[in-house]
Amino acid sequence: MKLTRRNFLSWAGISAVGAVGCDIFGKDGEELRLQSPVMQPEDLVKGRDNWYATLCRQCPSSEGVLIRVMEGRAKKVQGNPNYPVNWGKQSARCDSGLQALYHPERISGPMRRSGARGSGQFAPITWEQGLDTLSAELSARGDGLLLITEPMRAHPALISSRFADAFGGRHLGFEPLDQTTYRAAVKSVYGQDLLPDFDLSHANFLLSFGADFLSTWVSPTRWSVGYGNFRHSEGRTERGTHVQVEPRFSMTAANADKWVPIKPGIEGYLALSLAHVIISENLQAASADVNALTSGQGLAALDNFSPEQVGPILDLPEAMLKGHSPADWIRELARDFAGHTPALAIGGDSAAAHSNGRFNLEAIYALNYLVGSVGEIGGIQMNPGSPISDLPASSAVGTLADWTSAAGDIRDGRTRMLMVHTADPVYGLPASAGFGDALNRDDLFIVSFSPFMDETTAMADLVLPDRIYLEDWGSDIPEPAPGYQVLGIQQPVVNPLSDLDPRSFCDILLSTAQELGHDGDLPWDSLQAALRETSDALFALNRGSVKATSAGEFWNNLLRQGGWWDERETGPTPSTPNGLYNQIASRAAQPSYSGEGLYLMPFSHNTLLDGRNTHLPWAQAAPDPLTTIAWQSWVEMNQRRMEEMGLREGDIVQVQASQGSITAPVYPNPAMRPDVVGIPLGQGRRNGPEYATAGDERESSNVLSILAASQVEGTGALAWASNRVQISATGQSMRLVKFEGEFTSREIGNQIDNNPAEEIIKTTSPGEHH
Amino acid sequence: MLPLALVGLLVTAIVGFILVVLAISWFSNPPFGLGNAPPQPIAFPHTVHAGLPAEGGVGIQCEFCHRNVTKGAAATVPAVENCLFCHNQINSENVVAETSVDLAEVQRVVDRFNDNNPIDWERVHRLPDHVRFVHEAHIRFLTQGESREVTLPIGDEQPMRLPLPVGESCSVCHGNVAGMTEVQPQTGQSLKMGTCVDCHKTNNVATDCTICHK
Repeated sequence: MKLTRRNFLSWAGISAVGAVGCDIFGKDGEELRLQSPVMQPEDLVKGRDNWYATLCRQCPSSEGVLIRVMEGRAKKVQGNPNYPVNWGKQSARCDSGLQALYHPERISGPMRRSGARGSGQFAPITWEQGLDTLSAELSARGDGLLLITEPMRAHPALISSRFADAFGGRHLGFEPLDQTTYRAAVKSVYGQDLLPDFDLSHANFLLSFGADFLSTWVSPTRWSVGYGNFRHSEGRTERGTHVQVEPRFSMTAANADKWVPIKPGIEGYLALSLAHVIISENLQAASADVNALTSGQGLAALDNFSPEQVGPILDLPEAMLKGHSPADWIRELARDFAGHTPALAIGGDSAAAHSNGRFNLEAIYALNYLVGSVGEIGGIQMNPGSPISDLPASSAVGTLADWTSAAGDIRDGRTRMLMVHTADPVYGLPASAGFGDALNRDDLFIVSFSPFMDETTAMADLVLPDRIYLEDWGSDIPEPAPGYQVLGIQQPVVNPLSDLDPRSFCDILLSTAQELGHDGDLPWDSLQAALRETSDALFALNRGSVKATSAGEFWNNLLRQGGWWDERETGPTPSTPNGLYNQIASRAAQPSYSGEGLYLMPFSHNTLLDGRNTHLPWAQAAPDPLTTIAWQSWVEMNQRRMEEMGLREGDIVQVQASQGSITAPVYPNPAMRPDVVGIPLGQGRRNGPEYATAGDERESSNVLSILAASQVEGTGALAWASNRVQISATGQSMRLVKFEGEFTSREIGNQIDNNPAEEIIKTTSPGEHH
Repeated sequence: MLPLALVGLLVTAIVGFILVVLAISWFSNPPFGLGNAPPQPIAFPHTVHAGLPAEGGVGIQCEFCHRNVTKGAAATVPAVENCLFCHNQINSENVVAETSVDLAEVQRVVDRFNDNNPIDWERVHRLPDHVRFVHEAHIRFLTQGESREVTLPIGDEQPMRLPLPVGESCSVCHGNVAGMTEVQPQTGQSLKMGTCVDCHKTNNVATDCTICHK
C-alpha cells in the first residue's frame, strides 16, 4: 500500500484505538494486587524524630551536636545549644559527618593483607580471626608497640595511653599541623599546660598574628560566635576592631578591619616592637607589671626592638604606610592596641610554623600582660583541669622530632608493631621525615582501625574498622575549654547499617587487654562502662550543670544534655612571670628557610582541614571561602606576579621545593604578597575512597609531601612555613572548578599602583570606628 | 483507494469498538473482574476473623489488621507476620481438636511466613489512579464530632446516627465485611464519581475537582 497522507492518518487512528483497546483489555497484574509483605514494616506511617546529644568528631574541637534520628537513621546534625564550646552553632565539617556515616566506601569488616605491603590488596576475615591475630601479635611484639591515634582527650586518651603502657609500648597522637609550638608558648608565657580561651565577645581590639581562627585554627566555631559578639552585640558601645597580621590573605584576614601583609616569620619582631612602644610611651595597663616583665630593666630589655630598628624588616607595602615611616606605623598600631582595652593579642598557624615560631608566639602572647588582658574579661581565659583527676584534658601529640625518632625506632627494630587509629602519618608527614618509607618492612606488623582506606591503612597487615562516632560511645574535655570545666559525652545515636560490621576501637582495646591479662589499669568491660563510672563520680561531686537525685537519673540527664560543665570551676589567673621579656628577647631570631624562591604558605583547607575530610563529598564540594574553588588543589599567587611570569588562571605549575615537587593549577589573587604562594592542604591522596582519590596529580596534590623536615627551634614541631619554592609553568592548563564564575578577581575602589596586595586592604584603620 | 463500503465498515467497527470500551468502563467497577470477588491466593474468611463471637467469629477489629486505616490514605493489608501473631499457635501442628477451621489454608499462611514469601492479594476495591481517597479523613467524619443523624447516599441509604464506633464506620461504605466469607463490593455501590459527589453534597463537603482528583 502506498504511503499517502490519508493512509497514514488511517493507520495512526487504528494504532491509537488498538493501543487503548489493548490497555483496557489487558489485565495489569501488578496494579490489581495488594501485597502483604512477610515482615511488618517498621511503624513508618508518621515519622517521629528523636534528637540525641552527642559530640562531633570531624575536627579536633569536638563540638557538641544534636543528631536528628528518624526511623533509626541519622538525618541531620545541628549544634547543641547547651554545649558551652559552640553554643548551638556548628561548622560545615559537622554537617558532612553524616556522609562519613553513610559513606559507600566504608570498610565493612575486618580484613587481612593479601598482597605486598602497600599494594592495597586485602582479603576479608571474620572478627574472631581478626581479634585472634591482634592478640597473637600483641603477645609477641607488644613491648615494641607504637599506638598512633588522632589527638585524643578524656576517656579515649586514657584507654589508649594505658593500653600502650600496659604492653610496654608508647601512645602518640598525630596531626599534621600540630599545636605543639602554641602549647610551648602558652607554657612559657602563662605557665599553663592547657590551651587558653579567648573572650572575643568582650574584647574591643583584636590583634591576631597568623591565626586563621575563624576558619580552621584550634576552635573556629567557638571563636566565630565570639567574633559575632565582638563586632556587634547587645550592650556593646563600640564595634570591636580587628587587625590581622599575616603574609597570606586568609578567611580571617578577609574579615579583619585591616590586613597587614607582613614579611613571613617576622611577627615576633613586630610584637616586641609594639611592646617597646607601649613601655616607652607608658601606654601599659595599670595592672601591668613592667618591672617584673623586664626583670627591672624596663625599656632596656627591648633595646633591639625599637620601631626604627624593626620597621624596615617588616617589609610593609608603601600603600599601607600612606607616606608614614614603618616606625610611625608601628607606633600608631601600638597606641590603638593599648588604647582600646580590653585588647587581645593572639597568634598561631604560620606565625608558629617558622623556625623561630616559638619566639614569635611568645612575643605575641606576652603583649597581653602589657594591656592587662591575662585572665580578665575580654582577654585570655585560662582553663582548669579535668573534673576527674586521671582523665587527660589535653591531647598528647607527637612532634616532628618524635616522628623522626619513631621512624628510627622502626628501622632499628625497636618498634615492631604499629596500631593506628584515624590518623594518617604516611600522608600527613613530610616525605623527607622518612616515616612512610620506614613502614615498608616485613618484620613490622601494622594494624589499622580506620573505617576508611587511607595511605597508612593501605600499608597495614590487619584492618579492624572502627565505628563512626555516631555509632559509638566517647567523651571529650574540650581544648580549649570555655574557661571552666567541661566534660562532653558522645553516645551512639544509630546502629551501623546492616551491611557493615565495625567494632568500637576502645572496646577492642579493653577486651584485648583483658584477654591478655593486661587489664590492671583498664578494669572496664567497655567504653560505656568507663563512661558510666565517670558519670557516677561526677554525680558524687554534687556540682555542675547536670541535676539529678540518683546516679541513674544523673546518667540519663548527662546523655540528654550532651555533657557536664561547671561554670564556677574556672581556670587560674597566672601571675606575671619575672623577666619574661628578657627571655623572649634573647630568643629573637630571623626565620631560616629550605629552598629558594617564593615563601610557601601551606594552609588548612576550610572543610577538608589537613586532609582528614577529603573522602566526604560535601566537604570536597564546599567552595573555599575566598577563592571559591572546590574539589581540587590550587596555588594562590599574586596576580601581578603571575602576569609577569606569563601565567594565567588554571595554568598548571610545578612547585619545586628543596624536598620534591608537586603540580597544581594556579589561581590569581590580588590579595597576596608577591613573594608568597599559598597552597591548601587536603588533596593528593592516592589510597582511599574515590571522592578522595579521583583527582589526578595535576589537580590533586599533597603539599605536605614536599615540605622539608625542619623543626621549630625549642619545640621539635614541624616548621611547615619554612620552605621556599620555585614556580614554573608546565605548559598545561585546566579550568578551575570554582563558584565565582569566569570573572577575574579585581579590586573595588580606587586604583592603587603599588603593591597589588594593598588594593583590597580595607580603608578602616584602627581607631576609626564605623 | 479503499472502496467506500470498506471505509464505512471500518468506521462502524471503530465507533462500535469505542462504544464497547466506554460501556465496559462505565458498568464495570472498575474495568473487568472487580464486580465479583476475584479468587484470592489464600481463602481468608472475614467471617471467622472479624465476625462477632456470637456469630462464630473472633471479633478482631478492622484496624487491628488494616493498621493504617485511621492514620493515612490507604487502609493497607497486614504483613504476613501479623497473621502469625495468632497462627503461630493456631495451625495444623497445634490444633488437634475437631474444628471447622480449614487448617490446610492456615498452613499456607504459615508456610508463606517460613518461606519468606509475600502474599499477593487480589484487589477488591480499586479507584482509578487519578483519584485520591484518604481513609483517615472519612473515618474521622464518621467517628468524631457531635451527635447527629444523617442519611448517606450509599449502601442501603438508611438514616444513621453519627458518630459511629470505628469498627462500624468501615461498613458504611464496605458493607458488612464481617459477614462475608469472600469480600465483595457492597451491593449496589459503584465507587464511581457520582457516589463521592452525592455524599459530599449531602454533607456540605467541598466538591472542587482537586478535593479528589490528583
